[in-house]
Amino acid sequence: MNIHTSYLGEITIDPTEILNFEHGIPGFEEEKSFILLQLDENSIFQILQSIKTKSLAFILTIPYELVTDYNFDIDEATLKSLEIKNETEVAVFSIVSLKDTIANSTVNLKAPIVINTSNKKAKQVILDNDHFAIRHKLSFESVKG
Amino acid sequence: MLVLSRKVGETIWIGDDVEIVISEVKGEQVKIGIRAPRNIEVVRGELRQDISDSNAEAVIKSFELLKNMKK
Repeated sequence: MNIHTSYLGEITIDPTEILNFEHGIPGFEEEKSFILLQLDENSIFQILQSIKTKSLAFILTIPYELVTDYNFDIDEATLKSLEIKNETEVAVFSIVSLKDTIANSTVNLKAPIVINTSNKKAKQVILDNDHFAIRHKLSFESVKG
Repeated sequence: MLVLSRKVGETIWIGDDVEIVISEVKGEQVKIGIRAPRNIEVVRGELRQDISDSNAEAVIKSFELLKNMKK
């Protein structure tokens, strides 16, 4: 199937790869379907593109690449709603807020995107944890991209 | 919005498995107890709003920045 995007033009995607956010994400509750697109092979950044809104896309990164001690327990509500049965089927990403420079850019460690890779159900989880910031500085040194 | 008046110690049930208890009222602050199954998320409004604002800020606005990221 083909979808329209503002940044990559019209692209062909595999419909079985579409991620289903049952309740959208905070601020975008009506956006239930997204697709994860690789920016390029070596990049640690990916694009989370809305299926229905061509201008809606986010940059995602793998938080473990930025913060070595990043870890959290997935709460029961998330396990249940995403039907997660096994740790190995879970993928975790963080939303990057890109500013004019990388040094001013931030990454949201407080509310990661959790994906069940088996059934493509996904959710932005708000962690009950004071160690992780919503706007964690994306320091240049730590970006290996 | 449904608005109910409650006194300390009084409760409200939402559906069959969520109970809200008004546990303390002190000046402008109200302490609320929530008894709910663990599969129901409870999040403070301002935190959800902050996540929502952060998501709005993070929407990609320029392809130039994206191209720079590729380097």
